[in-house]
Amino acid sequence: MTLLSGEMLRPRRNWQAIVTIAVVLIVSFLVLLPLVFLVEESLNIGDPLAFPPAQYGFANYLAIFEEDINVLWNTVIIAVMATVMAILIGFTLAWILTRTNVPGRETLERLMELPYYMTPLVGALAWSVIAGPKSGFINQVWKAWGGPGDLVDIYGHFGIAWVMALFEGTVAFVMISASMKSMDPALEESARVIGASKLRTTLTVTLPLVMPGVLGATLFVFAEMLGSFAAALVIGIPARIYVITTAIWDSTLSFPPDYGRASAMGLALFVVMFGMLTFYRWMIGRGNYATITGKAFRPRPMDMGRLAWVLFGVCALYVFLAVVLPIAALVFTSLQRFATVILSQAEFTLANYRTALSLGPVRTAMGNSLLLGFGVASVGVLIMAVLVWIIYRSQLVGRGAIEYLVMFPQAVPRLVFGLALLWAWLNIPVPIYGTLWLLALAYFTVMLPLGVRTLAGVVLQIDKSLEECARVCGAGWVYQMRSVTLPLLKPGIIAAWLLIFMACVRELGVSVFLMGPSAKVIAPSIVAAFASSGTELTAAMALIQTFTVIVALLILFRLTRGVTKEMT
Amino acid sequence: MSATRIEVKDLVVRYGDAVAVNGVSFTVGRGEHLTLLGPSGCGKTTTLRAIAGLEQPSSGSITIDGQAMFDAAARRNVPAEQRGVSMVFQSYAVWPHMSVYNNVAYGLRVRKQGAADIKANVERALDLVQMRHLADRAASKLSGGQQQRVALARAVAFSPTVVLFDEPLSNLDAKLRAEMRVELRELQRRLDITSVYVTHDQEEALAISDRVIVMNVGVIEQIGTPEEIYNRPKSRFVADFVGSANLIKGKATAPGLFEAEGGTILKTAGGTSGNEVAVRTAYIDLVAKPGDNQLPGTVRQRMFHGDFVQYIVECACGRLIVRRPPTNLLDEGAPVTLSFSPEHTVLLQG
Amino acid sequence: MKPFAVMGVALCALAGAAFAPAGAQNAKLCDKPRQMEGFKTCADIDKAKAEGAFVLYSTDPEQGQVKLLASFNKVFPEIKTSYVRLQAGALYAKVLSERQAKSYLVDVIQISDMGMILDFQRKGGFVQYISPEMAAFKPEYKSKPEGYWTWGSVIMAGIAYNSKNTAEAEAPKKWEDLLNPKWADAINVKVSNSGLQHGVWFMLKPLLGDDYFKKFAAQKPRAFDSYVQQYGRLVDGQDKVIMGAQYSGAVEFTAKGAPIGFVFPELGLPAVSETYGIVADGPHPNAGQLFMDWFLSPIGQKALADALALHSPREDVPPPPGALPLAKMKLLIPADWDAFEKDRPSFAKEWDRIVGARR
Repeated sequence: MTLLSGEMLRPRRNWQAIVTIAVVLIVSFLVLLPLVFLVEESLNIGDPLAFPPAQYGFANYLAIFEEDINVLWNTVIIAVMATVMAILIGFTLAWILTRTNVPGRETLERLMELPYYMTPLVGALAWSVIAGPKSGFINQVWKAWGGPGDLVDIYGHFGIAWVMALFEGTVAFVMISASMKSMDPALEESARVIGASKLRTTLTVTLPLVMPGVLGATLFVFAEMLGSFAAALVIGIPARIYVITTAIWDSTLSFPPDYGRASAMGLALFVVMFGMLTFYRWMIGRGNYATITGKAFRPRPMDMGRLAWVLFGVCALYVFLAVVLPIAALVFTSLQRFATVILSQAEFTLANYRTALSLGPVRTAMGNSLLLGFGVASVGVLIMAVLVWIIYRSQLVGRGAIEYLVMFPQAVPRLVFGLALLWAWLNIPVPIYGTLWLLALAYFTVMLPLGVRTLAGVVLQIDKSLEECARVCGAGWVYQMRSVTLPLLKPGIIAAWLLIFMACVRELGVSVFLMGPSAKVIAPSIVAAFASSGTELTAAMALIQTFTVIVALLILFRLTRGVTKEMT
Repeated sequence: MSATRIEVKDLVVRYGDAVAVNGVSFTVGRGEHLTLLGPSGCGKTTTLRAIAGLEQPSSGSITIDGQAMFDAAARRNVPAEQRGVSMVFQSYAVWPHMSVYNNVAYGLRVRKQGAADIKANVERALDLVQMRHLADRAASKLSGGQQQRVALARAVAFSPTVVLFDEPLSNLDAKLRAEMRVELRELQRRLDITSVYVTHDQEEALAISDRVIVMNVGVIEQIGTPEEIYNRPKSRFVADFVGSANLIKGKATAPGLFEAEGGTILKTAGGTSGNEVAVRTAYIDLVAKPGDNQLPGTVRQRMFHGDFVQYIVECACGRLIVRRPPTNLLDEGAPVTLSFSPEHTVLLQG
Repeated sequence: MKPFAVMGVALCALAGAAFAPAGAQNAKLCDKPRQMEGFKTCADIDKAKAEGAFVLYSTDPEQGQVKLLASFNKVFPEIKTSYVRLQAGALYAKVLSERQAKSYLVDVIQISDMGMILDFQRKGGFVQYISPEMAAFKPEYKSKPEGYWTWGSVIMAGIAYNSKNTAEAEAPKKWEDLLNPKWADAINVKVSNSGLQHGVWFMLKPLLGDDYFKKFAAQKPRAFDSYVQQYGRLVDGQDKVIMGAQYSGAVEFTAKGAPIGFVFPELGLPAVSETYGIVADGPHPNAGQLFMDWFLSPIGQKALADALALHSPREDVPPPPGALPLAKMKLLIPADWDAFEKDRPSFAKEWDRIVGARR
């Protein structure tokens, strides 16, 4: 065996060091620099458009508490209500689907993913049609049955929270069911064999063990709710209820645009979210009830007897409220001449679809979104794979810092990050504002945590010795990546690609600030069109886009089915 | 009072298209320690869990203490919590969010015993496993061996008559396993518990069981006492799986005679049908005795196992494995004469 | 000699300074405007076609803009059109932000608030281009000197209601009628970003008194970004009345078959302009000029009327089908646009308070 001499080893180490420094610089540039711009602008108490600011001060922050205190109040109330509902929904569904023998479990689990594919706007729009006062579907039925006044009015704090919870419930469901799935089923079985009834078992064994996971999910969901935008936009603004995200949005869309105030609010929101997510990570790290013994568990469900059908009904109800009813409402609305649920006055037409096909959100936005999705996912995934390797497999000194930087965008609410990017790139003398390039850059940055997390899960499962063997045989770092690491990561890479693609196509918060006339993307362009289009036209656009995205995804799933089977 | 505690009849358990347990029948007597032994995938754990009520069988019946717990024909399936048995799990399933005391007290609390009674029973159970001094410790802070003891204490605390064991020792290291085996047997005798025990470790099965059931791909290969299983295996599988055996192919030519491939004639204990002869490695001697089958050969390999030494000897019947006490070691290449009594041969149809 | 030289230089400098700020006071109508089908143009058509694209920012609803641009695209298929729609305040904020970033993405802008137009002109945002079609516009409808911006349409605001839900007898007839408590929580208006809403405020406040809007606030009106949303809510019954209803919206919705009743209050209809101008440093300057010529011509103005039911300032263009001509309406147009511009910040603040918006 030929020994490698000292000189041959040294260049390799330098190579890696150069790469690390480069990576740290680039990621910092992408992630931290916009926030620096934002901080600076939040202290701008002079002309909001001036750069650099002429005057510095804390007036913007103080003003939040003076003038916009009700905005903060609204944000907290709605976030709390929405979180409670989302966790209830998520927990119930997770328990039913992972721990009982509800019939049709696999189909139901698939269906649970559907609300995620609908852009958040779609749900908000649909429910404004379903539960709007006076003319909403529910109220029409109520009136027909002789009920007085309105039964429901979606235009209120609870309405906004309801829509948010309904669609965010899937995230809670995924997180809590992951925690339930990782529980050793023997823990419940041993209670039952000793004689504890199903209820007693659930209360004394299951619940306490799942609690940490549920609490973690609660924190995470709450942080997300604080930064939620679509429901507050569609339902909150007509109800004159502003939350911090819509207030930021509103600030930048008036003349003169108040970037200073918007930045201050954005940073305030960021600080709160950052605090919560740090707390969340600390909780997860503690993992007192680590129930993972390294074995893969096949959770064995409890036999619920006849009750199983009731539970099936519960799941079906959720799918109905979150998927079927909204889509039906939108289809119904999109076929009307004028949006009205008063059936006697309804006239049906396909004209809305014809018009929708001529509008920007459909014509150019769909193509752009799909293009961005493909591009960012493809390039991004490879870069992220390298990043993941550096963080989890290399011996480089700076890798902890890189991991922190890469996960950082998760703590920044998307809208705030979009604002930061807007302000940063308005003032950086490289003219990519209003182009697809800026959107690509923005997407890549905000998708970093998602991609890295997915790939990390796969990388950590690959035995180190497989790569070490390649190195011992003399393979250089690049060769080893190419010939051993990347091929082994293939299923993970494909899963990450799909996740990133989906996330890009649904994206709203970041894109809403960065669009240009020829750089329109799906969700924000519907938001923009919504302002000047009737409900029926917006419904048509939303449906066209939702179905196009679903079709694209189905095709992709088909193509990658074999490889990703283990991942799902 | 019937002497049979558990009766399993024609049990069939399916997982989708696969059949895990394919028509299994046996009984367990009062106070008996019965072991289900077999390789992974043979259906032993599934059978055990079916008795506990944690699996849904497709057909057959299970009766405990005369009461039908499962009866496919009568469409009756009593849920696990009402069967009145107890179980120790392979992963111990000690609840990490409770103290040791509360873990053990759980079954008593379910049965709504008074606080004083609970305390007495818990302490008694913990004494049995020598864990009383750790009663207040959080269960998540126990070592593997300690968790195993707590699981055991929990299982017996409420004085069940039937305890099911699902490979309870497989996660322990060898020395601990050996110790726990002895303790388990002790406990079982002292409390007069009827136990059904599942393991893939044949040594363990032979050591502590009253009877052993060897299973393979969902069916029973043989039921018998440990000695019967060891000395009179009824099939090639049992001979190979239990203990260490040499299998010599050939043909039984006459009662008591067997012609091995290669021509050697061996004396057997009897029987005229069979194309394989099994000889336990422990029953082959290196010193010739009158009346034995005697085969000259050469030592090809020697492996020192500590408690015994294993030789691979090449002879006219092929390569035979011999295990001897670890004294008077022979070198590789040394000539040797293998010797075994016809009584120690078992004629099998392979 | 020296003092004279110095004075001479100073005089020349002064002279230059006097003429320079307009920048292109030098711009004048080109010598040989080309006659196209229905309009004259001074633009270099080949260059415009080579540019191949045209970008418009406008406050008009998206489907209307699309129709208008489609008509232009029909005449010049080589020029691909794209647009951005935002309400006036937001639009202007976006344009300013982009210019600051040196991102020049737009060729022509339309803003319905004259104050913002004047501000943009002062900032040098417009290119002076004298279109042969501008001759047909009265001086009060275009910039001085001409060529920076021109009124593309006149929009006016009245009161609208749903004729199926509200009988004509009960409908409000005067601006003051809207203070009747029976309309509480059932009125909608436009957001403060809107130029038309600003016009309504600016013209009605002196006529109806400061008190009027204070009492109006008690009616809890809801604000929306465009007349499409406003009329939509009228049709589906969520609101009963629009205060400051854009007339073109009523015409558009009535043509589609909606039961809209429109009231022309006797006091008059506040009216403002939708003003168009070519943006300096735009990405497709020749296409911009070509569009301007086409748009300001009777052909373009008619296309606008068909797409958005808007009235043209030109006298030789008929009103949109189903609408009263300008002459038949009592329009209240601000006389002093500078005062109008200065009024905006206080209007925005007050209006936001009235509609319960953030500030």
